[in-house]
Amino acid sequence: MDFGFSKDQKMIQKSVKDFLDKECPTDKVRELEEDELGYDPAMWKKMAELGWMGIAFPEEYEGTEGDITDLMIMMEEMGRVLLPSPFFSTVALCSLPLLEYGSSEQKKNFLPNIASGSEIWSLALTEQSAKYDTSEIGLGATLEGNEYILTGSKLFIQYANVANYLLVVARTGGKGEGEDGITLFIVDKKSPGIGIEIMPTTAHDKQCEVTFDRVKVPKSNVLGEVGKGGDIVNFILQRGAILKSAEMLGGAQAALDITVEYAKQRIQFKRPIGSFQAIQHKLADMATGVEGLRYLVYAATWELSIGSPSNLKISMVKAKANEVYQRIGIDSIKIHGAIGFTKEQDIGLYYIRTKASQFAMGDSGFHRERMATELESYQPPKL
Amino acid sequence: MDFKSGEKEEALRRQIREFVKEELPSGWLTAMLEEESRDEDWAFAMSIAKKLSKRGWLTMSWPEEYGGKGASLWEQAIYLEEVGYWGIPGTSMGVSGVAWVGPSLVLFGTDEQKEKYLPQIASGEPDGVWCTGYSEPDAGSDFANIRTTAIKEGDEYVINGQKIWTSAAHRARWMWIAAVTDPDAPKRHAGISTIVVDMKSEGITVNPLVNYTGYHIFNEVFFDEVRVPCENLVGEENKGWYQLMRSLGYERGSVGVGAFGYGKRILDELISYAKQTGLFQNPEIRHKLADRAMDIETAKMLAYQTIWKMSKNVIPVYEPSRDKVFNDIVTERLALTGTEIMGGYSQLDPLNRDSRWTKLQGCVEGLYWLFPGIAIAAGTDEIERNIIAQFGLKLPKSY
Repeated sequence: MDFGFSKDQKMIQKSVKDFLDKECPTDKVRELEEDELGYDPAMWKKMAELGWMGIAFPEEYEGTEGDITDLMIMMEEMGRVLLPSPFFSTVALCSLPLLEYGSSEQKKNFLPNIASGSEIWSLALTEQSAKYDTSEIGLGATLEGNEYILTGSKLFIQYANVANYLLVVARTGGKGEGEDGITLFIVDKKSPGIGIEIMPTTAHDKQCEVTFDRVKVPKSNVLGEVGKGGDIVNFILQRGAILKSAEMLGGAQAALDITVEYAKQRIQFKRPIGSFQAIQHKLADMATGVEGLRYLVYAATWELSIGSPSNLKISMVKAKANEVYQRIGIDSIKIHGAIGFTKEQDIGLYYIRTKASQFAMGDSGFHRERMATELESYQPPKL
Repeated sequence: MDFKSGEKEEALRRQIREFVKEELPSGWLTAMLEEESRDEDWAFAMSIAKKLSKRGWLTMSWPEEYGGKGASLWEQAIYLEEVGYWGIPGTSMGVSGVAWVGPSLVLFGTDEQKEKYLPQIASGEPDGVWCTGYSEPDAGSDFANIRTTAIKEGDEYVINGQKIWTSAAHRARWMWIAAVTDPDAPKRHAGISTIVVDMKSEGITVNPLVNYTGYHIFNEVFFDEVRVPCENLVGEENKGWYQLMRSLGYERGSVGVGAFGYGKRILDELISYAKQTGLFQNPEIRHKLADRAMDIETAKMLAYQTIWKMSKNVIPVYEPSRDKVFNDIVTERLALTGTEIMGGYSQLDPLNRDSRWTKLQGCVEGLYWLFPGIAIAAGTDEIERNIIAQFGLKLPKSY
């Protein structure tokens, strides 16, 4: 067993960290909160030049043959600095299923443009119910001639405002033999009938409502097989949950570090408040929370990397990330005291992102149910 | 990164399961910490200790010359995990011989001490049963405040004072005691020594302290002019505190895996019970069990990370404290979820585990009654959090 990163992985971590420390200080995060696009195209271009977007692609799609562990390392660093960018939606949520389920033509058409940073993607999965279960998918797609007609709406679709393509999860039918009635479509955002409205989230993180009014999608833009999209959604959820948890891990660690530092500096009763046990014990529990989350994320990523993902473990990771990030957000503010409650302090930036992070790729209720479903068939070791 | 368990370790795991199948009654499940309490349980535990010794497992991590196998930390981790999971009794021989007296003697003992005591422990014999005399009425968390003295007179130490919460003192042949050898030391840490005391010595009185559920686990032990030969001093005189700190990290580093194994077993039993009774279909219950599964998996990763760190020859500083606190939190949650699932049956007395009303041999209610004690023993959670804060997060000392 080895909990450590390889030399190459450490190198990736360092280069991503160095870049983000320079390019994405918290001033930048604040600036982008007010920005119309919600990301910095110049920084995005530099990230692409460094090979970040195509890190998990084979060379033939302009990638650098990395794997999910490299992506996990990058997401942790991005979470640390709260990087506002469509990296997660484009790379984690859309490029990976394209790579896995796309036809060779689709891969050739889309992946190199993702790697080069010239095209942004957004996954359109959740709807009004704000749930990740595919049973909640209502957006309909019906075949008319050689085209599917999509009608309905999607909610909480991050970076749909700047996306060139949407990966849309739609309902093409009911449950049948070997089919779940779910189909994924690659939708050019320029298609007539698409409406985008940015939702007023507290973190200004560009989650959108996307409406589809008889949007025409060519048959050739179906990803995978018609009526068998449930597996693809599961594939996306597995990777998305882990990578989102890695991002939350980075954020949780940063919030903890900021708060520990503050507790060492802030003097009351002529002593640093970090010398008081009421503060120490909170910080100790926060640290234990982050470390537990860290190794759960690492172990589940490793399982993905060797091709044996377990939905039980993956859901544990996201449920843990949800618990830890929230707890650390709350206790960080409390330890800061009144100053933590102000817009000027960085700690609030982390706290106001807890809700978006918890929701993304499934809240704890969703993942508890997934865990329980897995436990139904669990058999304890026998003698 | 690589989270695969090694082939050698998995082979050992299979051997241990074979052993459990052969040597323990079918469906064996124990409540934690109870084997010292009743004579028949103790006799059974000691008979298993002997068998574990024959397999070379009892003290597997010790050097071969002292009855060990020189097993790796990972092999030991798998062993302790399986011990916890299957409730194998007799593995600690009291509470201290296997876990810390032996390893401390390897580090600090004289050759004569090693030759005398280590084989006794490794053989699983009654003469290898130890208790530990650290806590006193005025020295609980404030361990350096111990008052029991061991004053040198000629070639003997004369011990006077009292120890308390001494687990298994009524079963032990030896006590591993911390006593003040220099009452005038400028710093109280600098006057403490560790000494081996024969429990058969004149002047020792052991009084049982029975806990609220009726278990006799710990005791108070009085010392009235107890004479111990000077050769029983372990390591250097007045260096006991520092020796203890050095060996503590290693000793406690492996504790997490055992607690994980035990928690996993309780969880598995609860899941099976909830399925059999139909409770698993209750959304609240299934979600709580899912959360507990997440907790247990986290405990496992933390415990393994500590082992990994030790396997890289890094002495864990705050990690054992982290693992202890987290395991205690998980144990408490498991006990609460478990008793909720057992409902009315969680009131039953785990000492009457054979009663026809008792579910899961009383292991869930046993856990519920005992978890506050587990959280206190070997460093309260509050003290452990102080350690995490001061040594892990480098916060200023709080007292």
